[in-house]
Amino acid sequence: MDTGDSGPQLEICFITKQDIYAVPSVPFSVPQDINNVHLNKLLNELLRDYTGQLKQVQFDFLVNGQILRLPLVDHLKDFNVSTETTIDVEYIERTEAPEPENALLHDDWIGGVQVADKWVLTGCYDHSVNIWTVHGKHESMSQEHTNMVKSVSWLKQSDPEGGFVTVSHDLTGMLWTWRPGDILPLPVIMLRGHSRAIDSVGVSPNSERLATGGCDTHLKVWSASVDVDDNYEPRPKKIKPNTHLPSRTPIHTLQGHKENIVSVQWLEPQLICTASMDHTIKLWDTELGGLQSEIVAEKAFLDASWSHLCRSIIACSADRHIRLYDPRSTEGSVCKMIFTSHSLWVSAITWSQTDDHLFMSGSYDECVKLWDTRCPKAPLYDLSGHQGKVLCVDWSNPKHLVSGGTDNSLHIFKNRHGN
Amino acid sequence: MLSHQLKRKLDKANNKNLPQTSKTDDDDDFNSDSDFYDSDVDEESSDLTDSEADLSGSDEVDSDDETDEVNTPSKADGSDEVDSEDETVDTGSKPVSTTSSPSIIKKIDEYAEHDTSDEEDIRNTIGNVPKNWYDEYEHIGYDWDGGKIEKAAQRDQLDSFLQRIEDPEFWRTVKDPQTGKEIVLSDDDVKLIKRINSQRIPDENFNEYAPWIEWFTSEVMKMPLRKFPEHKRSFLPSKIEAKRVSRLVHALKMGWIKTNAQYKRLKAKKKDQFYMLWQTDSDAEKMRRIHDHIPAPKRFLPGHAESYNPPSEYLFDERELQQWHKLEETPWKRKLHFIPEKYGSLREVPAYPRYIKERFLRCLDLYMCPRGIKLKLTIEPEALVPKLPSPRNLQPFPTFLAITYEGHADMVRTIDTDKTGQYLVSGSDDCTIKIWEINTGRCLKTIATDAVVRCVRWCPNQALSLILVAAGNKVILVNPHVGDFLINSKTDSLLKDSPKNDTIINERVRATVQWTEPSDTEYDRGFRAILQHFKEVTQVTWHGKGDYFAVIMPDGQNRSVLIGQVSKRRSQLPFTKPKGLVQSVIFHPSKPYLFVATQRHIRIYDLIGQALVKKLMSNSQWIATMDIHPGGDNLLVATYDRKVLWFDLDLSTKPYQTLRLHGTAARGVSFHKRYPLFASCSDDKSVIVSHGMVYNDLMLNPLIVPLKRFEDHKSCNDFGVFDVRFHPLQPWVFSAGADGTIKLYCN
Repeated sequence: MDTGDSGPQLEICFITKQDIYAVPSVPFSVPQDINNVHLNKLLNELLRDYTGQLKQVQFDFLVNGQILRLPLVDHLKDFNVSTETTIDVEYIERTEAPEPENALLHDDWIGGVQVADKWVLTGCYDHSVNIWTVHGKHESMSQEHTNMVKSVSWLKQSDPEGGFVTVSHDLTGMLWTWRPGDILPLPVIMLRGHSRAIDSVGVSPNSERLATGGCDTHLKVWSASVDVDDNYEPRPKKIKPNTHLPSRTPIHTLQGHKENIVSVQWLEPQLICTASMDHTIKLWDTELGGLQSEIVAEKAFLDASWSHLCRSIIACSADRHIRLYDPRSTEGSVCKMIFTSHSLWVSAITWSQTDDHLFMSGSYDECVKLWDTRCPKAPLYDLSGHQGKVLCVDWSNPKHLVSGGTDNSLHIFKNRHGN
Repeated sequence: MLSHQLKRKLDKANNKNLPQTSKTDDDDDFNSDSDFYDSDVDEESSDLTDSEADLSGSDEVDSDDETDEVNTPSKADGSDEVDSEDETVDTGSKPVSTTSSPSIIKKIDEYAEHDTSDEEDIRNTIGNVPKNWYDEYEHIGYDWDGGKIEKAAQRDQLDSFLQRIEDPEFWRTVKDPQTGKEIVLSDDDVKLIKRINSQRIPDENFNEYAPWIEWFTSEVMKMPLRKFPEHKRSFLPSKIEAKRVSRLVHALKMGWIKTNAQYKRLKAKKKDQFYMLWQTDSDAEKMRRIHDHIPAPKRFLPGHAESYNPPSEYLFDERELQQWHKLEETPWKRKLHFIPEKYGSLREVPAYPRYIKERFLRCLDLYMCPRGIKLKLTIEPEALVPKLPSPRNLQPFPTFLAITYEGHADMVRTIDTDKTGQYLVSGSDDCTIKIWEINTGRCLKTIATDAVVRCVRWCPNQALSLILVAAGNKVILVNPHVGDFLINSKTDSLLKDSPKNDTIINERVRATVQWTEPSDTEYDRGFRAILQHFKEVTQVTWHGKGDYFAVIMPDGQNRSVLIGQVSKRRSQLPFTKPKGLVQSVIFHPSKPYLFVATQRHIRIYDLIGQALVKKLMSNSQWIATMDIHPGGDNLLVATYDRKVLWFDLDLSTKPYQTLRLHGTAARGVSFHKRYPLFASCSDDKSVIVSHGMVYNDLMLNPLIVPLKRFEDHKSCNDFGVFDVRFHPLQPWVFSAGADGTIKLYCN
């Protein structure tokens, strides 16, 4: 291969886990300052020779488990790897850049967003709850809440007809039913019990339970049934603005956090992960009603996300860094990796549902970034478009990367990778 | 040596037991052979015998005889001479042979290699007696076993003549006188004899002409190395030593020195001895002269003016001379004590008239001069700087700007946070107060007032949702309606029904303040009570419990400080006399104390005891504001003359530390409630965050380390930053700027 003939050479060997792109594992001699562009060219030529494939495919190259971004020799120097031996260069198909698809303009800041199928559910600071299609059609809207809506979640990821839940700073959460085509979603049950603003909500994987956390530092577990008969307690006598709604009280109240709970996520049907501004991430066992384990950090958390695929927690704090935690590790530092690229607080973060390496983050520096855990130094892509702080991001539907912020707009990016 | 070798050869010949030839050998026959005898044989042989005589060292007579004998053969034949040689050997060795008997028994010539006198033929034991004694016997002697040694057969003349004719070896046959046997000399022996006779060295192999090795110089020196003879003292006994010895002897006699034995005895006699422990202290002066020697004062080195031939600029001109003479009365004022003079050569320099006097003065100097050691203190500038820990070790503290809260149209004069750290309230010159959500920077509420808002304070009581707002002449109690719904409604209901005041309100108080109910529009805005004052209110502050609050009207003279109570809706005037222009008041966090800052002093009053507890001196011109440490023992004061003062109330009434970090008037200071942090802000747009650690240990003074300076605000009308507040829970700090923004710095 003619990839330059001057300067010191390195021996590399291409390997891959994607069978369609397999090439024989023959060592090649390449200049040591080869970068991924040249490697791509080399590999594509190889593929054309061996498989007869004419289409140019863009690859990323993994050396020592991290994506190659620098010239190869510099990359190896970072890992203190000898340049004498044959270097295994694993290649993967490059994650394609998400492409901006839509921007949905709201009346106020967007506090929470979740996508199920093609339906985008958003909670706004103007107390409204909106449902859009990913194509930008405003389906329905309701302003039942009396304060800003901070977090929303579909009850069943696969089926929007299963209803959704919203939590608000008016100290209540609401369970709604909605069918595609309805102009108004129907509030069914009001969740009462929090004494201060509710910031976060999470629905269990089997859609039977939901958990909320807020400024009163309590984590409350509720039944997620939209059936009104599941009322556990009679309606409180106190006169509330929404008296026409039946209310529900929590099954459990888990106390332990000292400050605002900013993120609630179910790991398993009995396991909840919460992140709080008191610098801790706690894992709760709902069966036992107690704390299972906790991760103590230095900074106040703003959001956290759990991935079923790589079984680790990615969290963002009130600083510029994103940290990867492994809740199973008991020795040493539980913080496995730090991702730094944002210039202000990272306010929202979520894992990809399909890829165990990808996650996206939104920050107050008006930027949404797509990351690969194998490339901690720089994000894969910057998804620009926001003109204000990003408050929420969502990637529940693997096809759409969604983010909302203080510029009142919801940006939808189409994920072309892995489709 | 030569003779010894010869003897050995002869011995060997004897051992061969050859038939002995008669002693009376024919001279003629030898004539043919005599050519190997040189004419000067005589001398040589005599030399030989001399050496022999030396060796034997026995009787003179014998040796004399022998010399005779030897001398005779020199004229006769060689065999004879050999015989005589043998004899001499025998005589010399006889006494030795008797002693060394084992050599016979062994029958081995053990001395074959070496020449010793023991190797004499001692088979005949007759001793050193003349042989002719045995002439008439059949034997010539006795062997070791006592057996007779038979005489060899005597031959007559004819026989010997016949033998001479017949025997070709006859010429070299000799007779052993010891045993009477004939011995035929070997070729080697003959050669040896010939060499001896020709006066050559017997050993053939000896190189006479080997190169000379000069082991010692052969040259004789003409002059000796040391000419002078040995000194006399080298052979006379030393007088000094004698003197020394006599002195030692004398000392011993007198008992001045003692022998070891005496010392031992003395030591044994001595018991525990006591001595003056501090004795040396009284001799301090004596020791000082030894240890701390004070050198004599140094004299000045002579300069160019003292030279006999000074450069012309050193010579006095007219004016200088005049001046010099003018100071006749006061000579010590003169620059020089002499007039420099120029001479062509050193020779021409006259005697120095002041010499004696100056020497005398110098002596006086040395004698009279008081001498003391000047202790010089050397302090490095680095040593004066206190050792402060690195800011990196004092984490966490705010490090970067995180959020800017924008929305106010004019300068933000004051900010405060609620107790949970969720909301922020700000008061501005645009006559509004705003409630912000801290985490997102969202303005939740804007409440309009009638005048410039000078101070907002959130009620520290968690069961109340109240904000004190000082706007113009009014102090307004505002319920912001954020946070807990229950608390909000409870606060509302608490403030709705004003309690019936049984007590008659003092006329003086009534003239100062009036509690009024808000109108409906004002109630909708959140106003719950309005206190109408007679002068403009600049500051309000809550008591830690959240029921009492203090209000300041600097222009109010003796009614400038007012304490109100929310639960009773009542105000009172604690002071009757004005002490100055009141700038700031603050409640002690735990004790019933009120801190009142006037322009220059801070007075601490006990509210229960109604007495002045302490008066702190600020040493500054104009106090701006102050804040108290949550522990209650430390006070921070910001002054308009650029200083931030830290008072430690336990330590003194003067500032413990004065921080001059700001370029212009400091306007706000604040302590963090949880972290050891404090911040100050000033008109130079800067916010400075410092580490202020207060230790529970009374022995440790507070540790103050400036950490970080933020300069993100823009200046507006020469104002920079008005107020600074910490987040109640996180190590974050808020600053209210004159540019209408509030900024959050976080770690």
